Amino acid sequence: MDLTLLLQSALAGLTNGFVYALIGLGLSVIFRGTRIINAMQGEFALIGGMASYVLLESLGVALPVAALGGAVLGGITGVLVEAVLVRPMRRRGASEESYLLLTLGVAFAISAAVLYFFGRDARLLPGIGGEASALFFDAAIRVHAIWLIVIASAVMALLWLFYHRTVVGLSMMAASVDEQGATTVGINVPLMRTLTFLLGGLVGGLAGVLVSPLITIHYEMGLLLTLKGFAAAILGGLANPFGAVVGGVTLGLVESGAVLYFASGYKDVVSMVILIVIMIVMPNGMLGRGARKGG
Amino acid sequence: MALGAVAFIVWLAVPAIASRSIVDVLVFTALYAIAGLGVSFLLGHCGIVTLAQSVFYGVGAYSAAYCTTQLGWAAPAGFLAGMGISAILAAVVGWPVLRLSGYFLALATLALGIIGHVLFLEWDWLTGGTLGIGGIPHLELFGLMLNTPQRFYYLAWLVLAIVLWLHANLLNSRTGVAMRALRDAPTAAAALGVDNHALKAKVFVLSAVLGSLAGSLFAHYVSFVSADSFGVDRAISFLLLAVLGGARTIIGPVLGALFVTVMPHALSTLGDIHALLFAAGLVVAVIFLPDGLAGLLQRALGRREQA
Amino acid sequence: MSGQLAVTDVRHSFRGLHVLRGVSFDVANGSLTGLIGPNGAGKSTLFNIVSGFLRPDAGTVALDGADVSRQSVQQRARGGLMRTFQTPQVFPHLSVFENLMMGSYRLTHDGVLGGLLALPRARAATRQMREAADAACDRFHLGAVRDRLAGTLPGGQQRLLELARAVAAKPRLLCLDEPSSGLNAAEVEQLMTMLLALNREGLTILLVSHDMNLVAIASTIHVLCFGEIIAAGPLDRVREDPRVREAYLGV
Repeated sequence: MDLTLLLQSALAGLTNGFVYALIGLGLSVIFRGTRIINAMQGEFALIGGMASYVLLESLGVALPVAALGGAVLGGITGVLVEAVLVRPMRRRGASEESYLLLTLGVAFAISAAVLYFFGRDARLLPGIGGEASALFFDAAIRVHAIWLIVIASAVMALLWLFYHRTVVGLSMMAASVDEQGATTVGINVPLMRTLTFLLGGLVGGLAGVLVSPLITIHYEMGLLLTLKGFAAAILGGLANPFGAVVGGVTLGLVESGAVLYFASGYKDVVSMVILIVIMIVMPNGMLGRGARKGG
Repeated sequence: MALGAVAFIVWLAVPAIASRSIVDVLVFTALYAIAGLGVSFLLGHCGIVTLAQSVFYGVGAYSAAYCTTQLGWAAPAGFLAGMGISAILAAVVGWPVLRLSGYFLALATLALGIIGHVLFLEWDWLTGGTLGIGGIPHLELFGLMLNTPQRFYYLAWLVLAIVLWLHANLLNSRTGVAMRALRDAPTAAAALGVDNHALKAKVFVLSAVLGSLAGSLFAHYVSFVSADSFGVDRAISFLLLAVLGGARTIIGPVLGALFVTVMPHALSTLGDIHALLFAAGLVVAVIFLPDGLAGLLQRALGRREQA
Repeated sequence: MSGQLAVTDVRHSFRGLHVLRGVSFDVANGSLTGLIGPNGAGKSTLFNIVSGFLRPDAGTVALDGADVSRQSVQQRARGGLMRTFQTPQVFPHLSVFENLMMGSYRLTHDGVLGGLLALPRARAATRQMREAADAACDRFHLGAVRDRLAGTLPGGQQRLLELARAVAAKPRLLCLDEPSSGLNAAEVEQLMTMLLALNREGLTILLVSHDMNLVAIASTIHVLCFGEIIAAGPLDRVREDPRVREAYLGV
């Protein structure tokens, strides 16, 4: 096996891995805060990517502002979904399956809305550093991909600080672990749930912005992204914040390894098989720890 | 009863009155209802969300296509091969996967749906990939070629009626009561001697066989199949019709299938927005119609309400 | 000849905490045997091991001399070991009648295919279940709520329904987990009468409870304390045992 080729594929896997990790991170944020598996996490990315594209191309806003706008719109969508759709279901005491159906439904609605308003065209955002690539031995990696990895790592670190060091973060955890207890100590539990969706939406929107220079924005991109992100989160352990990164990178590397041996179409088969096997064999993920409550 | 008789007469008369394109849509209603019945069954009576039905629909379609065009077998052989392969596949895959529950199970079936679609595309020596398989012969029944929507309409709906009858039988049987018991309180069901996992696996197999049956009918009806017809969006339509129709009733999947097939047809003049309206319909149904359209119908007819 | 149920040297621990440390006891054929113990004695753990919901670290459970330790919950149930739950487990969206039908699940046979085609065998199974449910309705005075969804019944009636369903299974051994919790005094009285009557008809019953009053109807009582059986015998003798007095009264 050619060493450069191997390294090249490892770099591609690493990049994809951090993409999956970002989606998985958002999924895990929402799961930790509300015990809901959000089947529309990929659609947050779709919204984020599309919004920053529109801001950039149609309204002529500067790239950093457009990127911020994309992430914020993801967050706003999260808040709306929680406040308008999830809450009435919670009041009814809906089952796990209903939440999944709900978020799936919203995912299709968003995908269909993007199709209706923006058509079937795939769009690309300019990356940080443009099209430039860095050479790593003989293998090339886009400068933007390096930024993606750096920013994803930073987001993860910030989330860790948020959950462990801030009052709001701690309250959010308390609200999801013990609703009644949290209420008695004066935590506004419904607000915490809304904030959880805000956070999940922000992370998802940001993921879309970061991904769009590498993967084209397309109305159908959400579902597979959600599943890959879910696989990443499960692989690492849903309850563990670092899980998504460990899982995402593992998944990305395995996928790009598989492409060396099989036709590229089988990439998704490999990751989906991994997802299924992990759920059955290691429901708590590779890092273990933390129960799979509600799973 | 009178209502039933009127419905029957209307059903008989439809091909004579309605336009060809309407009859065509109604053929699909029956096909979707057959496949969706399997999904509905799993959802309503076992509490299992499946997004893998498109795979079995595809297996049925490709079996029919391959057996008739490549092997030159008679059509019934294709049907049986499809149902047999689907049953085995469902048993082999279902046995481990059905150990999961809730979100994990639903996402595992979604992953299965994606795997199936990729394999349909990649195994082009068998499926023709995106080019598909054409020239699938029309079905022939008692010397009558079922080569028009009008003729196929009667066959498809007859099959649907038989399948519904079998479904009603099963629901009232010992197994049917055990299924609902298992959905309600799995622990208690086990404590009464129900082998929950085996029962789920059996129902999953049954559901797969229904999907395959519908797929084979589909192949013979349109005489051309390609991987595009067996994507995850198809699995979603099947799930959607189960949820929309009301998964706990017998008539639910039929109502759901009517909605899923007739609505896009009616909205198709509006272009791509029909997909949006459609998805919005799913959201609304999940939030506001826990018993689906069948529940709505039941209330409208003032029949006994579930307490 | 060992008893109908023989539990031998069962040990179990959760995360290093020894919940059961070598428990052995028998339930004789046709007896009404009680198992009591203060909270945290390990009763629930032992009960779950007997019914198959938990695997012990060591020891065996035998029913009629046959080792069932390796059998699953449903296998033991089909073998005639029926249990109820501390919080009654009815099927909430099934009618009372359908709940009772499920009682005779273990006594009937038919498969998915038979059910689909409504084969004679399947219809016979359904008929048998209906007849058994009818009988149970009469016996436990549930006729008035026959068609109600079980989930809508008050707690006391749910407990009665659960008991009726277990009895409809014609068990070889009926294990009851805290059957009096959530019942008022009159209902407990009724329950005691009913259990005595069932026992007189030859049903072997294992009664697990912390309620001394209820367990008084048992002919033999085993006292479980900190994972060990500390006393066994008729109520009077057990009551006089100094270790039991210490465990219950702290003297």
